[in-house]
Amino acid sequence: MLKTLLYINEDLASSIALRYTAYLNKFSPLSLYVTHVVEQTEKEQAGTGLVKRAWEDGIVSSGEQLVNRMLRTENIDCPLAGRPKVVMGKREDETIYELRSGGYDLYIEGYLNTADPDQFYAVVSSELYSKSPCPILMVKNLSISKKCALLCASSVDPAVLVEKSMKILGDSTFKFDIVYFKFKDAEQMQILGKGDGGSNLQELESLLDKAGKSVDNVSVLAGNPEQVGDFLKQYALAVSTLPSRKSMRMQVLANSLAPVLLVR
Amino acid sequence: MKILVTLDAKNYSKNILKDVARLAGNTLADVVFLGVQDDTASPRQSLVNTLLKYQKDIYSYFSPDDLPYAEFSSDRLEEKGKGDWTISAKGMKEFTLRIKSGSVAKQTIAVAEEMNCDLAVLGCGGKAGCEWDGEMNVPLRIAKDAPCSVLVIKQTKKTNQIVSILDHSVVSQDSLEMINQLVTLNEAGLKIVGVQKKKDGHKAEVEKRMVELLRYYNDLEINVWVKLLNSEEVKPYVTNISRESIVALWMGKESLIKLLFSQSMVDKLLETTQSSLLILR
Repeated sequence: MLKTLLYINEDLASSIALRYTAYLNKFSPLSLYVTHVVEQTEKEQAGTGLVKRAWEDGIVSSGEQLVNRMLRTENIDCPLAGRPKVVMGKREDETIYELRSGGYDLYIEGYLNTADPDQFYAVVSSELYSKSPCPILMVKNLSISKKCALLCASSVDPAVLVEKSMKILGDSTFKFDIVYFKFKDAEQMQILGKGDGGSNLQELESLLDKAGKSVDNVSVLAGNPEQVGDFLKQYALAVSTLPSRKSMRMQVLANSLAPVLLVR
Repeated sequence: MKILVTLDAKNYSKNILKDVARLAGNTLADVVFLGVQDDTASPRQSLVNTLLKYQKDIYSYFSPDDLPYAEFSSDRLEEKGKGDWTISAKGMKEFTLRIKSGSVAKQTIAVAEEMNCDLAVLGCGGKAGCEWDGEMNVPLRIAKDAPCSVLVIKQTKKTNQIVSILDHSVVSQDSLEMINQLVTLNEAGLKIVGVQKKKDGHKAEVEKRMVELLRYYNDLEINVWVKLLNSEEVKPYVTNISRESIVALWMGKESLIKLLFSQSMVDKLLETTQSSLLILR
């Protein structure tokens, strides 16, 4: 079972993330914990000593109510492995601390798909993503698909992609496709032959074979990030390595309608 | 549900009949076929024949056991008022043929108001625009001024995606059902795009609407994807996707989308769309 931490807020992104997590649990059983961080500005902090303690207890209690409300509303078919972890502080710091101290295999959070790749880049280049000890799944949408896409490109290290993604998905019942992205700004996306994928694609196939995983379909796509992002909607999730710069692949991930699993 | 279908003898009208039949069958709707002519003296026989032929075509899409409409007792339309003729048959649901004299857009809007219809449907032709009998502004005027939702079918081309654009304004049950019907008719996926102003307080409301829709369509086992856009990103986005998808715009009275999509913008959408445009009210 994958020890998983899911971040919950009271918003659409979390609503989708909760439901998707229950869906994921059907393919890869999860030992699920949920967390919420109550962020307070300095202005909002009150008193010292007992007064401060009572005030903090009140804030945390309202955070717990929020989490319980979301859990009740969504009523997902995936039992929690423990009580919700609600703390006060900075969301990024507290989440990194929990991921490190809890020894989680996977972190999940909701992310609403927008048309702005800069917003996506700001998230994936944040401390949480660069310091997370485990892969992060950004849930952008729900899915009814039973297939995962391994998103490869010239900037992807196939060894990292296979090793890290198979730790999460290797025992799952998902089927796997490879989607190889090549940038081409044209009105229509083109599907190229497998030979156009180059050495990275060959290495990826060979590593997956060594890992005992068969690939159902390989698509080499030449298109812009919007087109390829839209293509990915047929998958339950798209796996790729964490982009370290504003690249076209980063933009594909930003435009992906499917949830994105980032490994590094 | 009440559906008003405005028709003439052109191919763009004939081509929408299959979709109208499926829509009527799926929603068990009362249906009015409206034909509009210039002269007020009597209903033009060619128009009567066209509408009667369309009625037969629609009926033929149903098996005899499933047909919710009755046959007319005669082929004669009765005068309802000056320049206004009608014939109806009531089975489980009512089917009406109506001919009015005047302008197409004006009479469609007037009948839609009078019958309190839920959806007005019409076809349009033209590669470079969306024309009705050589006029470019008929579908636009109906889409813009009708009191109910309007579906303009430009081409009965199969599309695999319905893109539904909404803001914080209230979404009616009928609108949800119409989207559902479009998804079913086209066996398409549904993309829900929420629109918000960058600096207004409606973000939570837009998200609330999207959660409601997500739950509704998930319960119907419809594949839904969500996306959130800022208001300034909407026009280019919609113009782009309208080439390949059916666009549904929620344009309620206080809708941000209504403000964003001026007459010229709806006109542009009608021009660029390769399938259909649905205006939801």
